[in-house]
Amino acid sequence: MREESALEFVSSWQRNTQALAETYDPAQEHDACGVGMIVALDGKPRRDVVQAGIDALKAVWHRGAVDADGKTGDGAGIHIEIPQDFFAEVVERGGDKLRSGPIGVGMVFLPKTDLSAQERCRQIVETEILAFGYAIYGWRQVPINVDCIGEKANATRPEIEQIMIWNARGTDEATFERDLYVIRRRIEKQALVAGIPELYLCSLSARSIIYKGMFLAEHLTEFYPDLLDPRFVSRFAIYHQRYSTNTFPTWRLAQPFRMLAHNGEINTLTGNINWMKSHETRLSSPLLDPYLEDIKPVVQTGGSDTAILDNVFELLVRAGRDAPMAKALMIPASIGQDATMPKAHRDMFLYCNAVMEPWDGPAAIVATDGRWVIAGLDRNGLRPMRYTITRQQMLIVGSETGMVKLDEQDIVEKGRVGPGQTIGVDLAKPQFYRDSELKDLLASRYDYGNWIKRVQVIDHIVKTDAQEPVRYEGEALRRRQAALGITLEDLELILHPMVEDANEPVGSMGDDTPVAVLSERYRGLHHYFRQAFSQVTNPPIDSLRETRVMSLKTRLGNLGNILDEDASQCDLLQLESPVLSTAEFDAMRAYMGSSACVVDCTFPVEEGEGGLRAALLRIQREAEEGVRAGCTHVILTDEEMSAERVAIPMILATGAVHTHLVRQSLRTFTSLNVRSAECLDVHYFAVLIGVGATTVNAYLTQEAIADRHRRGLFGQITLKEAVQRYKKAVDKGLLKIMSKMGIAVISSYRGGYNFEVIGLSRALVAEFFPGMPSRISGIGLSGIAKKVLALHRDAWQQDVIRLPVGGFYKLRRHGGEAHGFDAQLIHLLQTAVATDSYSMYRRYADAVRRGPPISLRDLLDFRTEGRKPISIDEVESITEIRKRLVAPGISLGALSPEAHETLSIAMNRIGARSDSGEGGEDPARYQPRPNGDNASSAIKQIASGRFGVTAEYLNNCREIEIKIAQGAKPGEGGQLPGIKVSELIARLRYAQPGITLISPPPHHDIYSIEDLAQLIYDLKQINPTATVCVKLVARSGIGTIAAGVAKAKADVILISGHSGGTGASPQSSIKYAGLPWEMGLSEAHQVLMLNRLRHRVRLRTDGGIKTGRDVVIAAMLGAEEFGIGTASLIAMGCIMVRQCHSNTCPVGVCTQDEKLRAKFTGTPEKVINLFSFIAEDVRSILASLGVRSLAEVIGRTDLLHQVSRGSEMLDDLDLNPLLVQADPGPYARYCTIEGRNEVPETLDAQMIADAAAFFERGEKMQLQYSIRNTHRAIGTKVSSKIVRRFGMKGLEPGQLTVRLRGSAGQSLGAFAVQGLKLEVIGDANDYVGKGLSGATIVVRLPPSSHLRSQENTIIGNTVLYGATSGYLFAAGQAGERFAVRNSGAIAVVEGCGCNGCEYMTGGTVVILGPVGDNFGAGFTGGMAFVYDPENLFEKRVNPATLLWQRIASPYWERVLRELIEQHVAETNSRYAAMLLHDFPLVLPHFWQVVPKEFVRYLPQPLTAPELQAELA
Amino acid sequence: MPERMLQFVHLPQQMPEKRDVLRRRTDFDEIYRRFEPDEAARQASRCSQCGVPFCLIHCPLHNNIPDWLKLAAEGRLEDAYEISSATNNFPEICGRICPQDRLCEGHCVLETGHGAVTIGAVERFITDTAFERGWVKPIRPHRELGLSVGIVGAGPAGLAAAEELRRHGYAVDVYDRYDRVGGLLIYGIPNFKLEKEVVLRRWRLLEESGVRFHLNTTLGKDISLRALRQRHAAVLIATGVYKPRELGGPGVGLGGIVPALDYLVASNRKGLGDSVPAFENGLLNAAGKQVVVIGGGDTAMDCVRTAVRQGAASVKCLYRRDRANMPGSMREVKNAEEEGVEFVWLAAPEAFFGETSVHAVRAVRMRLGMPDASGRQSVHPEEGGHFVVPADLVIKALGFDPEPLPMLWNEPQLEVTRHGMLKINHRTFMTSLPGVFAAGDIVRGASLVVWAIRDGRDAAAQIHSYIQQNAQLAEAAD
Repeated sequence: MREESALEFVSSWQRNTQALAETYDPAQEHDACGVGMIVALDGKPRRDVVQAGIDALKAVWHRGAVDADGKTGDGAGIHIEIPQDFFAEVVERGGDKLRSGPIGVGMVFLPKTDLSAQERCRQIVETEILAFGYAIYGWRQVPINVDCIGEKANATRPEIEQIMIWNARGTDEATFERDLYVIRRRIEKQALVAGIPELYLCSLSARSIIYKGMFLAEHLTEFYPDLLDPRFVSRFAIYHQRYSTNTFPTWRLAQPFRMLAHNGEINTLTGNINWMKSHETRLSSPLLDPYLEDIKPVVQTGGSDTAILDNVFELLVRAGRDAPMAKALMIPASIGQDATMPKAHRDMFLYCNAVMEPWDGPAAIVATDGRWVIAGLDRNGLRPMRYTITRQQMLIVGSETGMVKLDEQDIVEKGRVGPGQTIGVDLAKPQFYRDSELKDLLASRYDYGNWIKRVQVIDHIVKTDAQEPVRYEGEALRRRQAALGITLEDLELILHPMVEDANEPVGSMGDDTPVAVLSERYRGLHHYFRQAFSQVTNPPIDSLRETRVMSLKTRLGNLGNILDEDASQCDLLQLESPVLSTAEFDAMRAYMGSSACVVDCTFPVEEGEGGLRAALLRIQREAEEGVRAGCTHVILTDEEMSAERVAIPMILATGAVHTHLVRQSLRTFTSLNVRSAECLDVHYFAVLIGVGATTVNAYLTQEAIADRHRRGLFGQITLKEAVQRYKKAVDKGLLKIMSKMGIAVISSYRGGYNFEVIGLSRALVAEFFPGMPSRISGIGLSGIAKKVLALHRDAWQQDVIRLPVGGFYKLRRHGGEAHGFDAQLIHLLQTAVATDSYSMYRRYADAVRRGPPISLRDLLDFRTEGRKPISIDEVESITEIRKRLVAPGISLGALSPEAHETLSIAMNRIGARSDSGEGGEDPARYQPRPNGDNASSAIKQIASGRFGVTAEYLNNCREIEIKIAQGAKPGEGGQLPGIKVSELIARLRYAQPGITLISPPPHHDIYSIEDLAQLIYDLKQINPTATVCVKLVARSGIGTIAAGVAKAKADVILISGHSGGTGASPQSSIKYAGLPWEMGLSEAHQVLMLNRLRHRVRLRTDGGIKTGRDVVIAAMLGAEEFGIGTASLIAMGCIMVRQCHSNTCPVGVCTQDEKLRAKFTGTPEKVINLFSFIAEDVRSILASLGVRSLAEVIGRTDLLHQVSRGSEMLDDLDLNPLLVQADPGPYARYCTIEGRNEVPETLDAQMIADAAAFFERGEKMQLQYSIRNTHRAIGTKVSSKIVRRFGMKGLEPGQLTVRLRGSAGQSLGAFAVQGLKLEVIGDANDYVGKGLSGATIVVRLPPSSHLRSQENTIIGNTVLYGATSGYLFAAGQAGERFAVRNSGAIAVVEGCGCNGCEYMTGGTVVILGPVGDNFGAGFTGGMAFVYDPENLFEKRVNPATLLWQRIASPYWERVLRELIEQHVAETNSRYAAMLLHDFPLVLPHFWQVVPKEFVRYLPQPLTAPELQAELA
Repeated sequence: MPERMLQFVHLPQQMPEKRDVLRRRTDFDEIYRRFEPDEAARQASRCSQCGVPFCLIHCPLHNNIPDWLKLAAEGRLEDAYEISSATNNFPEICGRICPQDRLCEGHCVLETGHGAVTIGAVERFITDTAFERGWVKPIRPHRELGLSVGIVGAGPAGLAAAEELRRHGYAVDVYDRYDRVGGLLIYGIPNFKLEKEVVLRRWRLLEESGVRFHLNTTLGKDISLRALRQRHAAVLIATGVYKPRELGGPGVGLGGIVPALDYLVASNRKGLGDSVPAFENGLLNAAGKQVVVIGGGDTAMDCVRTAVRQGAASVKCLYRRDRANMPGSMREVKNAEEEGVEFVWLAAPEAFFGETSVHAVRAVRMRLGMPDASGRQSVHPEEGGHFVVPADLVIKALGFDPEPLPMLWNEPQLEVTRHGMLKINHRTFMTSLPGVFAAGDIVRGASLVVWAIRDGRDAAAQIHSYIQQNAQLAEAAD
């Protein structure tokens, strides 16, 4: 195949992005990376600092991505001080006279080819500098070497020049610097006016300069030879290696930015941007006031999240805050998290929270304001940041340890930056500040304690003793409910459990009802909003186990000027939660008095459809007038609804007012408090808050609770308690919805529009919810008005009013919603597969087609005109087509073992693949059965819980699937309650029966795209032949994510639809998260083509695929493989009872109950019939289209057309965004790679070669190497070879010993097995012992080191994640999430960071030093010993599942002692030896920590019987 | 939340207790006892609360069964009644006489392997409780519409329609040729399945709701359809099918060979205290006789079991197919067998012997052939398989055909199908005569009570929209 030239690529890119305007939004791009800084602690500019920065960049190449040309990187750069003498020489050589004062230098990207535009740019730059009164020395063409960059990078390369500026005004340095900021903003604006967006200033400063571009990090100095000049000296160097989700080289997006460089994502970005717009109106600072109009808009369009973060950071700094304070304001520590936080720090952060909404990410930033350089993490601490201080007064900070090669003897300190922490250097002093020192400094600047007293916490005011009022009973209540479409199902299935359990109800089997816009029924406006969630590029949070970082604290009132720094910023009301009961709302209302204005949100029924728009205009006007008249609180309510007045959907009213106030620059002057009758479930609350509401009172739902309470349905509890339980359920649900997109704080969620709209008209969205994606348009104001009026008429005109029974969750005939699988279809399909009758299948498939539209594809049909049908015999065979079909991942645990094996056997028989799902597989299945059947799943899944994931498991498959998200609950974890953990399940998952098993929401080794690349790398090491699939859930922006995943060397990307089945998931997640696969698939396909990645990766889709027609449509939308889940369950006997979560499946498909399993009637033949029928169906469609194979229709959207525009009520329903085609250039529209995308070899290749005797004859061997952080996954490929050759337990421990000197790269010893021993002398990065399967890993200091092991960090984050067996001894501290989800490994370390032993289910861990916060969250099995001489443990432990006590049994004392002895023997730790020496003295300071559920499995009681008597 | 439902895993199916067979053979009281409240709740709690509830789908009324089972399990009987009665006008009747084993319970996902939820018994329990507690109230329409609808036939279809229309505020007049309200409910179905008081209280309730009954009124004789059409804004024909299907063969005209309905009406009238000469003279009384019932439907079941209770010397049921292929409810067969009825499967009568009155039936053995397109197996006589059954009362329960209404009513415009059923537009329920609607057996042929209720409800909805449209047109014309 011909390769495309770079110029062709660039022009094609531009055409494609235009064609995909509705699909591809550059704002969805993500990037992530490696980041760090070098600082001279002596405060002197040094060459070695610059050199170390350059070197470090060369050691993080693996955190970036490389284009196919091997040269075009995603960007790298360095930020250093301006070498004044270098530029002085440039000035003088240019014939200019050097004036006093520092030279300001601008690093400028100019348009390259358009010379007149280039000239215009120079003019703009010069004009603005001169206009400010400064003078210009001249321009310098920066020497560059284009040989080292890729063709694509070169094709998009700007002209790179420097402008040198003379401080003609003689201002002081700070003013000069600030003026240069204003000048830069003016230049940027002028460039936009002139229509030359290409003009970009990397930096414009008299202090520092940024060299960056689209080369590989290692080519930095090759491209910019300037940097090799020894005069380039600096007190700091901030460096960055970028990994972006697209392949288009955008030079300006390379980092560092003007002040900071960032690794991670800003999850709260949309909310932050929206609030910044609102904050802009009140910005004021004596330093900037004259220029504010030049500076605004602060957030510049076209920036990445980091660029935007940098914009605001820069503003704060220019307005007078220093870098540490700017970081504290924008990315504060969590107050709830740290139980040991000093009050002064707490007060300061409370102040920060009152000023602005946190910018939360997974974020590691390094930044400078010229005087300070800082490095910090956000509250979640999901990015690694290690630091080292050397004897040569150098501070080295970076994403990894070992990036700069150092002699161990020179190291004086090795540490890490923890969650919410910041370290910094004041270059002026010079002084290094550790986190607490820096916070002390900040906290001492003002009397924050006094300031925050002005925050009026009104919880005690609203928590009145007043009874919850009851206003509507009987018919009055029912009519109002009916007028809003409330059904009995809502009350019984959703509301009732919320009150009874204070939890959201759980459902199963996905969502098979129509997307709201296709429904015939009334669907509340919230049905059109799909919750956003994070996957791959940023992690969700566990809102249950990591509550300490989460907050619903709600501030009401007048938000001030964020640039101020005084007590008035704290004049606010504050509530614990935005959810208020009616009594609470009444109390709050009374407290607000005349500072609140009430706006009625109803309209007269006689005005008809037009009444809605008129009323919205009135509501906007009344709210605006209220605010202008000085009201600091606006109350929106629909309480006035009656027979004569219609309630406006409050989401619409709230959006209308919020948007209007933002547009009028009034939003920050007021709170927006909503009383809504329609609001009932958690999702409705989330939408209201997401579109701008400050507080919400679901008053009519509360009346429903009161009504049920009156009828005695809640037992003995009081009404107040019932209401509080409901409130608690909503609070928890809100935290969950925020956390699934990684947002921890509600103020950053509010008004963030963190939704995607399906089916609302574009015009309506643009007017009331601007900025939210609404790709296919849909119902508009008049349609909504019609529906609301019809509902109102039925509710108020009928004689007797009964609530409809519902049918949204479960099928009902009377007024219920349509469901994809109804009784007839189930019956037809089961009959067809049981009798091997294709004609019966045909009846089934025809019935599916005739049914009401459920999915978007139901509006599409094949374009047959002009196609010449061919005979079906000419089409590829059933056998060929079946190979493209997959039985998707359903875990053993959800499915009964019988059903699970039946699927595998059936798929193996037809040469197709089944997916094991999460939870391991019985090794007995790896051997074929006597009759030849193979029950081993061809695809093995690896999910966030890593249950049963061993080296053996990963070596028994053809494909490994990384499940990032699942259609029924993207962004959420799961929990298998103890009662469901049977003997078998426990065995496969390396747990004990009856013990609760938790799957965390994120993979703890994937917080970012480069982490995914690392996991793929690890998996391709542990199985050198398997392909790797990454399972994603459809959402907008999935195209860019897919591109990033493809760049991470995935072989298959699976796009799951929202409708996907599930064993158990919260109802609101099943119903309101994720998108149809039609949208996600077409976007992924198109954006992959745009990026020239499509031909390198296969696309698979699943979610409700029922027939051959679905398969062919999916192929035309871009998929080449197809998962068929629910239908295959139905073929095995599932009858959609939808009680999978109850373990009571009456047909034995989805249960572990032996009695019920006996009812299973599925057979491989039935499953094979289903897949054969679907393949035959595909063939006949292909024949009718005149096509011979499925491959020929992949991506052929031209063969589809929209045949229905939905209901007449809709403004429009436009599926064209799904059908546009990107031009793939010379490449195919499908994957042309044979085999897999190979990854580079690591040290293991050498090890395998060197260990020939070991592999050939099993001889005991010892190998020895020097290593760097670029050597990743050491020992993994060797382990694959061991497992395949000797099995999991075929070798004695340590039969192959490998000694390594230096810093080990990530994933040291991942999945390493028994027989292998890795000894590292030095340190190691993240993911040590990931999935450890029996090997021994030792990490220790070299004898020459001067460090005290227990005070220094020696291994990184997320160590022993998912380990099942083996040993780890590390003489030093571990990072965050040590031993997360460990289920069998034994480890000794000398301290650990936050969230230690999280989700652990087995194994033993000894921690000989302090632990971080939230220790043992979700820890349900295994044991930990913690040495705690300072008595901090009890403040840091998460007590939910744990027992802890002093060691009270000689047995356990011996266990502990022996482990420490082993640790000393392996690591020579002086510290541990000392503990052993003083053992009787230190023993009383140890805690023994055991999960409550696990106690009964201990071989010996915790407290010895003889001691028990003594204690009693 | 402690799971209250899905208890089938632990709790076996338990039907309400049947009365002792020796006792129940001697009287006409209902054979099933009522559930005790606790037992009703327990049995309701066995429901699996399916996502696709097959019970509901296979119920002609699409009753929201899982919903009221859940409410019943939670002891919320008033709520349960509200939901149950929202889709069914006579749930207590359906609970008693529906062949649940072929409808809801037969399709319950627990049926195979666990034992279906006892839906009918719970349904009956809910509504009986509602009557006792006074939750069942006469209709008091919000407003009177000032329009009336005439309904011909006071059987289940007519009554269901009457109730629905009355709810809307129409004046409703029901015409029936019998002297009591209920149609087959009162005279066709024996007491031991449906105690007459259950029907009578519905009658009372409808009268209290303002429905006017014109009994002993035969259309075409006492009043013409034309008159009804003039009197009412719309007319609904729900007369049912009453013409018995006849037997052939020599001796079929002998005495002692009676139509099933005559036999059942006589028995029911006696039960209601009426004087019935044909019973008193022994013609329609099975006491002491050798009884042969011919047929395999629910009517045949009613006859054999009635005969047992009247004190027949022996009761045999002749049916030409086998047990698996009979149209009647299995549960009824079982009850009948318990009560001493002998089923003679695969047997068709050929001739009747006797002088003036029958004393024996000659029958021929049948064998089953291959199933036809409808899945039903055809039957063929066995060569030489003759046998004789002694009989001095033969009851013909072979089904019913429609009476020739256009002729009887002198309305030739009223179109019928080739089977004699009234022809309607199946969407609007209107016959060929404008404003005249039809529902129930007279449209679909002899069928279940629950289908009659469904048709009555659907027809009522169509009548309502027809009248409203006419009113709107009239308004527009003004």
